[in-house]
Amino acid sequence: MRLFFALACAAAPLAAYDFEAARGFLGTYCKACHTGKTAVGGFVLERLGDAASLTREAGKWASAVRRVHAGEMPPKGSPAPALEAREEFARWAEGALRGAACAGGVGPGPAVTRRLNREEYANTIRDLFDIHLDLASGLPGDGAGGEGFDNAAETLFLSPLHAEKYMDMAKFVTDFAGREYKPRERIFVARPGAGVTQDQAARRIFETVLPRAFRRPVAADVVAQYVALFGAARRQGLDFQGAVLFALRSALVSPQFLFRVEPANRGAEAVALDPYALASRISYFLWASMPDEFLFDLAAAGRLQEPEVLRYVVRRMLRNDRSLGFAQSFTGQWLHTRELAGEKAPDAKLFPGYAADEELRGDIRFQPILFFREVLVRDLAVLSFLDSRHTIATSNLEKHFGLKLPLNNNARKQPQWVELPEGSNRGGLLGMPAVLAVASYPYRTSPVLRGAFILDAILGTPPPPPPPNVPALEEAHNGSAPRTMRERLAQHRANPACAGCHARIDGLGFALENYDVVGAWRDQESGKPVDTRGELADGAVFEGPAGLRKVLMDRKELFVRNLVSKMLGYALGRGLSLRDSCTVDRIVERLRANGYRAQTLVEEIVLSEPFRLQSAQAESGGRVKTAP
Amino acid sequence: MHTTVTRRKLLHGAGVALGLPWLESLRAAPPARVGPQTKPLRMAALYMPNGVNVPNWTPKGTGRDYALSPTLEPLAGVKDQLLVLSNLWNANSKGGDGHYVKEAAILTCTTIKKTPGADIANGVSVDQLMARRVVGETPLPSLELGVTPVAIGVDAVVGYTRVYGSHIAWSTPTAPLARELNPRSVYERLFRAAAGPVGNAAKMDALLLDRVMDDARRMRSNVGAADKIRLDEYLSNMRSIEERVQRASAGSKRVWKARAPMSMDQAPPERPADHAEHTKLMMDMIAVAFQTDTTRVATFMFGNAVSNVSFRFLEGVTAGHHDVSHHQNDADKLRQYQLINRWHVAQYAYLAERLKSMKEGEGTVLDQSMILFASALSDGNKHDPHKLPILVAGGGGGRLATGQHLVFAEDEPLANLYVSMLDAFGAPVERFADSTGPLVGVLKA
Repeated sequence: MRLFFALACAAAPLAAYDFEAARGFLGTYCKACHTGKTAVGGFVLERLGDAASLTREAGKWASAVRRVHAGEMPPKGSPAPALEAREEFARWAEGALRGAACAGGVGPGPAVTRRLNREEYANTIRDLFDIHLDLASGLPGDGAGGEGFDNAAETLFLSPLHAEKYMDMAKFVTDFAGREYKPRERIFVARPGAGVTQDQAARRIFETVLPRAFRRPVAADVVAQYVALFGAARRQGLDFQGAVLFALRSALVSPQFLFRVEPANRGAEAVALDPYALASRISYFLWASMPDEFLFDLAAAGRLQEPEVLRYVVRRMLRNDRSLGFAQSFTGQWLHTRELAGEKAPDAKLFPGYAADEELRGDIRFQPILFFREVLVRDLAVLSFLDSRHTIATSNLEKHFGLKLPLNNNARKQPQWVELPEGSNRGGLLGMPAVLAVASYPYRTSPVLRGAFILDAILGTPPPPPPPNVPALEEAHNGSAPRTMRERLAQHRANPACAGCHARIDGLGFALENYDVVGAWRDQESGKPVDTRGELADGAVFEGPAGLRKVLMDRKELFVRNLVSKMLGYALGRGLSLRDSCTVDRIVERLRANGYRAQTLVEEIVLSEPFRLQSAQAESGGRVKTAP
Repeated sequence: MHTTVTRRKLLHGAGVALGLPWLESLRAAPPARVGPQTKPLRMAALYMPNGVNVPNWTPKGTGRDYALSPTLEPLAGVKDQLLVLSNLWNANSKGGDGHYVKEAAILTCTTIKKTPGADIANGVSVDQLMARRVVGETPLPSLELGVTPVAIGVDAVVGYTRVYGSHIAWSTPTAPLARELNPRSVYERLFRAAAGPVGNAAKMDALLLDRVMDDARRMRSNVGAADKIRLDEYLSNMRSIEERVQRASAGSKRVWKARAPMSMDQAPPERPADHAEHTKLMMDMIAVAFQTDTTRVATFMFGNAVSNVSFRFLEGVTAGHHDVSHHQNDADKLRQYQLINRWHVAQYAYLAERLKSMKEGEGTVLDQSMILFASALSDGNKHDPHKLPILVAGGGGGRLATGQHLVFAEDEPLANLYVSMLDAFGAPVERFADSTGPLVGVLKA
């Protein structure tokens, strides 16, 4: 669940709103269709008549809140509440629902078996065999679910194309491993020879490699099956090495490799997650890859549920280079900067300097990723994402920014952590070209896109969708067409159907107009001074990026809550439920108490009940798929 | 016969409940028609995002006596093998939001479930019903292609996962089919599928598949109910590869033969220079796949829903696709919108012309094809699923009454067209989604 965007802008305190007020709201606007036996859509107001219904009918309440806030209800033609009344209702109900859900205590979700996404697949092969190749680009891309990440179990489908690619990739990987020194050393821990038969050597190899490939202990009878497969391959004429590699090729197509398996909990109560499943949860969260020997050993020793051990593990893992996998995957999707190479790529003709300079493009793309990782490794406050005296820079970025930065003279081209000069306007994520570019069109900046980006990605309060069938804006019949961006948007906002939301969206975006599409600084646009006055819904006015940073810092609780929700959703690989919002609340509380330190955030996620535990899962037939 | 087959047959014969997913049992049913067709029928569906500039799309005149509109002009060379269909709409795609609900339903005519991902649900797409009909008759059951990667994230503003906006082919209501984006990979895939396994590769693949499916069944008993579905998905896909391997290794008994030679010398480059070349190469891949009969069913997406691919490579266009589609009746934006629409139609015309140039017996591959062109919106500015821009090119094996502009009564279901196309394809259905019958006039009397 998310908060509503009214909060992002309205600084006014909440008016006294209570259950009766909400009931009154529903009574006024919904009663005509949603009462009694003929209630439309099975939504019966009478069932929401008491405070207990916030728990009992939480789903119905949540759906009502969502539809009212989005303007879907009441339907067109019925008397509709004003935007403010809709939001007042939604804001109260959202809080009340969370409160009711939390009264039942924190609860974990079920164990989930999920396919490795393509980055996880490639990283796992890398760590399994010491193979350093770009394998991810050879696999189909994965869509996103849950909190917006492509590691969500729910949207990791397995298409016929995947099946084929996994077959091809397994062959490619094992062929390569057979030719290269390092992977061969990893695999061939035994060779047939004096006193060692071929089968014995193969068994030794499988006993070593399979538990790592499958990321949990492998039973003797499973090893025996792979030895049998090795034997079958020998009978087909393959030599010892070829037959071992063939069996491993099969292992790489096995669902035990392709899926992260979390055994179901058949009991009646929530229990601690299976230690190996937990080891994988941790490693795929912080490394986007398989566990290392240390994690396997802790799992084997049954020590992974100990809070002190977990805290130590988190700090150790963040320092490891592999945490770059986390930084890359998380920030690229949280901030959408992954799209920078695709549809969002700035137009090559309009921005030839950007298009021609591959190094600059790389530096721009990696800046938010490396910044994120540094904040974690240095254990800085997560508020650094909003404003910071430091950033990641290179000589290319220095030039792009038009600043003089204290770069290391011996490695000016290497990305590095530098202190920014006073008034640089480059502190925090919103001063980074990658972020500014993905929140633009490829050929021009857009206060609407940038404003919506701030509301959605930074504050976690996405604006509601535009109302359906907005009448097209007619061009002015007399006089000249509006020229500046602000004039054009003012015309947009003259339409009452649009004005309510755009007043809030555009005001934030205007503050960033000093940055062009590729994030270069500009004081003028088409010969006119850039107009960066921002405005909030309550009429408060601010100016430029510095003003915006202050506005956002004043609303840091929203940002922190959003970051916690995003990261928890990423860590769990699923969408958050109402009940998870208690975990979010608790983590926000701990963060506040601990100076918003980044490692506290990661530790608290790993220590949280939803991450470490699994709920009871009744055995049932499962969803039945039906043919059309 | 190798051991894997024997063992599975024994299990089946003994009636052992393996918990195989429904798709597998479905595949076990023998096809109604026996033996390979002398002249196979093909179907491709090309999806264009963001709707059209309506006045420039709709042709003047009806029936055989009509003139191509400015946007449809590139189709002049195949006009006698073209059907322009006006006034169709997709009732189940109204409401929801402006794009995802429309796009995901273009081949399913089903209302998708609003979700960030947990309970994704659509219908089965018409192309997949056709693919099922001819499963086993070609090396690949169907080909899903695109040029832009799957859109990332969840659209928090409207509450849909962008998975919906990136997939038009759905083999089950919960299984969107991943697309291949790299033209060279497509060619390699077609080539290998057509060539069949070399040496003992089939035997090795069979050994491998037997091992991993056994692993999957063992795992299946150890996970929760929802996770079983994932493993069923896995099993069903591996089983279809296994069937392909078995067919290919049948040696001299092999029924399927490539209808045209392929060579890796003709493989396209790994990285196309730009969007235009990329798209054209994908058209080529569909043409090669159809000519060789490597598959008979293909879907292609010119872009994802809400695509804002920059069309500045077109003379006179200064903006991105979605941006321009919200033209707000601005004359310049409308002009650009039309240029973008026309470019898409030209790619479609290119595919039709390629298929027309490919001889097959007395006729051409186009004679034996149905190539659908569709957008899920009419006027992109209004997000309107009424009066959709729909074209069908190709003779449909002599079944389609081409060379016409058919104007239907307002709100004729798009699903009716699919009923007629399924009929022409040899996969007739009583109903498809909200269909009310065949689309009158599409098939020859």
